[in-house]
Amino acid sequence: MDEDIEAMRDQFLNREFDEVKFEINGESFAAYAKACGETHPRFTDPSHEDFQAPPTFVSTLVGGRNLPGNFPRPKGVGMDAGKAVEWMAPIRSGVTLTGKSHMHDIYTKTGRSGRMIFLVRRTELYDEDNVHVANADTRTVIREKPSE
Amino acid sequence: MSDQVNTISDVEFGCELPSFNPDTSLDNVKYFGEFVGWGGPRFTDHEAARKEGFPGALVPGVMSQGFLGAMVHRWAPAADIIAIDTVFRAPVLVDQTHHITGVVTDIDQETGSVEIDITVSNEEEETRVFGTATAKLPTS
Repeated sequence: MDEDIEAMRDQFLNREFDEVKFEINGESFAAYAKACGETHPRFTDPSHEDFQAPPTFVSTLVGGRNLPGNFPRPKGVGMDAGKAVEWMAPIRSGVTLTGKSHMHDIYTKTGRSGRMIFLVRRTELYDEDNVHVANADTRTVIREKPSE
Repeated sequence: MSDQVNTISDVEFGCELPSFNPDTSLDNVKYFGEFVGWGGPRFTDHEAARKEGFPGALVPGVMSQGFLGAMVHRWAPAADIIAIDTVFRAPVLVDQTHHITGVVTDIDQETGSVEIDITVSNEEEETRVFGTATAKLPTS
């Protein structure tokens, strides 16, 4: 592994850098469900006995900052490369979730156009009883500009 | 829908999920933006997106990920998606027809767990979004 990436991993992986509260609104996640093509009433109908957010809804919960405050900005163009969700328990309307974010992974791939740095930010979501209900990962890829 | 499954015993390795065309219309993306977020001009205004260098307005990535989840639930209404990983390979453009397909790549009859590969492609059959979902179905 490249030395600069190793140093970033040593300094930033698994260290919480952001905590934020999310008020979960059933109207919002029902709209999300309908827009995405969900048809089951447990996701779309607030009167359903098992009404809950679709698992992928947690990807819409964005924290206060994307990266640690002192994170070195690699030179290049950043893009959203993907999102992952781990679901552990249903998320209901009206709950307040706490999202705690850390850098989960930092790695590189090298293509024809040069090195790409992948930054994976994980937000762990907890309910009011501190039950861990989901993880939401955002994977950002930075295509490095060749040095001049 | 006759090709829905209810329990893990209904699932066969390699079976294809019923495909569907997600609603990528500008009205639906605006609706998403209004209630969920991601209502910025690059998502809701073709001209503004072109000024940013895109071919047209973009479907937000979080919405594309939601399409994948919906596909699993349409096929297996009782399924709990316990993990889903989505790779954004190329933009999904608003007002262009896209198609979602899925195939079962692994089954664990004991735990009720299935793995599904899901692809969102455009009319040129170019993959725009790819994902893998792990879902649990009732075992009986």
